[in-house]
Amino acid sequence: MKEFQPSSPRSAPVKSVGLIAWLRDNLFSSIPNAVVTIAFISFLAHYIPLLIDWAFLSANFKGETEAACVNDGACWVFVNAWSYQFFYGTYPPEEVWRINLTIVLLILVIIGSFTLPKSIRLKTSIAAWLLLPVVGIALLDGRLLGLEMVSTDLWGGFSLNVFMATASIVVAFPFSFLWALGRRSDMPFIRSVSVTFIEFFRGVPVLSLFFMGSVMLPLFFAEGTNVDKLIRVWLVLIFFMSGYMAEVFRGGFQAVPKGQYEAADSIGLGYWQKIMLIILPQVIKISMPNILATFVMLFKNTTFLLIIGIPEVVQTLQTALSNSYWLGGHALEGYLFVFLVFWGSCFGMSLLASRIERTMNTDKRD
Amino acid sequence: MFNEKTIEEVKSANRKASSDATSTAFYNNPRIRGLFYQVALVAGLLYFFVTVIGNTLDNMEATGIKTGFAFLDAAAGYDVLMSLISFESTDTYARIFVVGFLNTILVSVIGIFFATLFGFIFGVAYFSHNWLIRKLAVVYVEIFRNIPLLLQVFFWYFAVLSSLPSARQSLSLGEAVFLNVRGLYFPKLVGGDLAWVVWTVLALAIGGVFYLRRWAKKRQEITGEQFPVLKASLALIIFAPLMAAALTGFPFTVDYPALKGFNYFGGVTVIPELMALSIALSVYTGAFIAEAVRAGIQSIPRGQTEAARSLGLRENKIMSLIIVPQAMRVIVPLLNSEYQSLVKNSTLAAAIGYPDLFNVFVGTALNQTGQAIETIFMTIIVYFIVNMVISFLMNRFNSAVSLVSR
Amino acid sequence: MTAISSNSNTEDVIVIENLNKWYGNFHVLRDINLRVKKGERIVICGPSGSGKSTMIRCINRLEEFQEGSLVVDGVEMIEDVKNIETIRKDVGMVFQHFNLFPHLTILENLTLGPIWVQKKPKAEAEEIAMKYLERVKIPDQANKYPGQLSGGQQQRVAIARSLCMNPNIMLFDEPTSALDPEMIKEVLDVMIELAQEGMTMLCVTHEMGFAKKVADRVIFMDGGEIVEENEPEAFFSNPQVDRTQQFLEQILNH
Repeated sequence: MKEFQPSSPRSAPVKSVGLIAWLRDNLFSSIPNAVVTIAFISFLAHYIPLLIDWAFLSANFKGETEAACVNDGACWVFVNAWSYQFFYGTYPPEEVWRINLTIVLLILVIIGSFTLPKSIRLKTSIAAWLLLPVVGIALLDGRLLGLEMVSTDLWGGFSLNVFMATASIVVAFPFSFLWALGRRSDMPFIRSVSVTFIEFFRGVPVLSLFFMGSVMLPLFFAEGTNVDKLIRVWLVLIFFMSGYMAEVFRGGFQAVPKGQYEAADSIGLGYWQKIMLIILPQVIKISMPNILATFVMLFKNTTFLLIIGIPEVVQTLQTALSNSYWLGGHALEGYLFVFLVFWGSCFGMSLLASRIERTMNTDKRD
Repeated sequence: MFNEKTIEEVKSANRKASSDATSTAFYNNPRIRGLFYQVALVAGLLYFFVTVIGNTLDNMEATGIKTGFAFLDAAAGYDVLMSLISFESTDTYARIFVVGFLNTILVSVIGIFFATLFGFIFGVAYFSHNWLIRKLAVVYVEIFRNIPLLLQVFFWYFAVLSSLPSARQSLSLGEAVFLNVRGLYFPKLVGGDLAWVVWTVLALAIGGVFYLRRWAKKRQEITGEQFPVLKASLALIIFAPLMAAALTGFPFTVDYPALKGFNYFGGVTVIPELMALSIALSVYTGAFIAEAVRAGIQSIPRGQTEAARSLGLRENKIMSLIIVPQAMRVIVPLLNSEYQSLVKNSTLAAAIGYPDLFNVFVGTALNQTGQAIETIFMTIIVYFIVNMVISFLMNRFNSAVSLVSR
Repeated sequence: MTAISSNSNTEDVIVIENLNKWYGNFHVLRDINLRVKKGERIVICGPSGSGKSTMIRCINRLEEFQEGSLVVDGVEMIEDVKNIETIRKDVGMVFQHFNLFPHLTILENLTLGPIWVQKKPKAEAEEIAMKYLERVKIPDQANKYPGQLSGGQQQRVAIARSLCMNPNIMLFDEPTSALDPEMIKEVLDVMIELAQEGMTMLCVTHEMGFAKKVADRVIFMDGGEIVEENEPEAFFSNPQVDRTQQFLEQILNH
């Protein structure tokens, strides 16, 4: 019997691997392709240096007033001077530690939800999340904790966007879960009410909800009750978010294999036991990327608050741009800054969502 | 081994036990419980609505707000920035409702058209052979998806359009199209006496295209030969009306925008508010549509293209016969929700003063009449209906492209 | 249409000479030399990763190669779109995962090629399609969709779909590997009939019973090279190379 001698591998011909091959396939694979590549590169080569010059090399970084912007480039002094308001609105500076503390607590709760030891993670995270808006309101408002009261009229800036979005999702989460259950219910009346609720809050422009909250809600309450504007907005955001989240959960419910429900039933679990112990954890896990995506959408929608006169960050930008001390036309710098802040947060959250999705996909393959 | 007598005994014993069970645990009966919960819910909702309605009526009486829709016949007393039908400040609230509605439809149609265009271009670009184009698609999607729409609207309106030059120094294309801080102006085609001939021919040409497609398909079924339908259709739509125009002596005059004083008059005016809102809506929604298109194309397994190639099909036929029909299954439901989102987002007009339905009615009319419930109610009904129409059309389209499975 | 390789025997429908392929820097096909005569039935076996699928996919250009030459039915495989098209019309392929077009009916799956590539009238294409559907014994499924058929039925449709193009050569890439055991026989029966009618076939498969029954030659590949080739009788009872024997022991003893 012949002994098999495997032949030794050769390395690939130069033309087919490495940088040259990559360039050929990706940038110059055909005449039209090559033309596009060259057009692109010349465009970039022309404009990128200009951009870098404007944004960095000739830009003004130091200073306090408009007069400090002597160079031709971007006037980042403007952004600098207004950065407090962009983040904190008109919150009194000596109390701003309260906003910072709330943000630190938020970050701690987020990290805790991922890193606490599994035995206490679930209970602690749920408790922490539910307490967060209460603690946040208490801190920011001040009265409950015996601190100096800061009226909600003074709350503003980017921290307000973050706070409203987070406070809304915390309440909307369990609320929308109930609506999603209701939609799946066998009881016809409960199902119709749930469907109506969900479709209403999804189908109506969010701006009209804000107007309803500002204008109609006061009419619904007995004479004399005065509900704070931000609380009304909070309620609106909760209902709005619940409509969308209920649909996310609906998709999650459908994605949980039917066998799970059947197994739970066959052990003899009651309805609520089945839901809380078996189904809910799986639904949340499956829906996580979509939940994050919905949160990002809600977060972007907090900018709409501007239209009902709440001084969140875009409103603050408008105020800054029309301020009489800064009428040098710094729209570009201002917008770029706010763009970056939002883009950074939203893009970061989308990346997180994709990462979670990818981890889940690899889980499933096992 | 069971014998039959034992089985009978067991069965009858069971029957007795279960009838005992139903007669004792009536509150555990799922049906009764279900009924109870629902009755409780109905009672709760009734109480809630009665209280709310009661309060509302009291409050409205106290502040002197009227109810009912009589206000629709009253004169509005204010003017709008732009209108597709004639409007004066002496016209009624009902008419201003229609004006707003038409403006909303206008910006929605423009937005949907361009968003779909951008979305498909960038969605397909994601699969280009050219690395730069692929990366451009990713950059476009990731940037415009992650910046709030309001911010984008403001950017276009306050940063870009307001830095356009003044009327006297407009950017212009030839002597016909002008762009300045007050708007975009381009010439209007005004039909003369025989213009109807050209329009009829155009309509006939469009109808003719459908007929042509059907004829070409039949011909291919019978003879196997393929007819260049696309080229022929384009030729028909372009040349037939042109010929008709030539034969009737070009019965059109062109109304050119002309500078009089500080402004342009004549031609078609597109106000900057409309431009900013349309651009922002198109670019923003386009990013989401691009993602939908990408998801659709990616959902198709590679084996499909391989099988089609191994049959000898050309790349363009593989696209149109195999890839696109299957991708649309995934894309169409996503398009449905994006279009509806766009219509709802058009309410951002309120932020820059474009006179859409929301701004003009809930914004101003509500302010003036104080009749919040009626105005808001009328407005959201319209948005619901528009979205239902979109849903209906897209579902029809979806059924046409969906798969049958076991 | 370009020059025929000077060494070809007019009976050789496939001539592969010194074919080498790399995935990046990984040498996946090494110096492949193979001649296939008209009407020959060839079974290719080997461990996974041996390059057997890659090799037959080169024949209809689903994979490209960097060195060597490939001539199919007198047409040389070069970077010319016209050549590739001509070859593909002549070579049919059946995939492991069927790859039927799910949005078309069975009949439409079969008539797609004849209508759009061969430019046949619809009536003629449907006649051809029904003829082949009857040959694979499922004429009643013509108006159903692939999702409504079993795996075995889908694969038979896939075979019929390739046959509708009237190819001279049929390639099979592990056609039964994705089927439930009870459906393997119905597909193999169709392939055996095809073989007995004189179709030139290259079949990558683990079904050794099929090889013994129908193959003119069995080829064993490992690590991107052809290790041994022989008539089935000799191949199975008297392997010449130790690696072949090792492989046969592994697959024939389960």
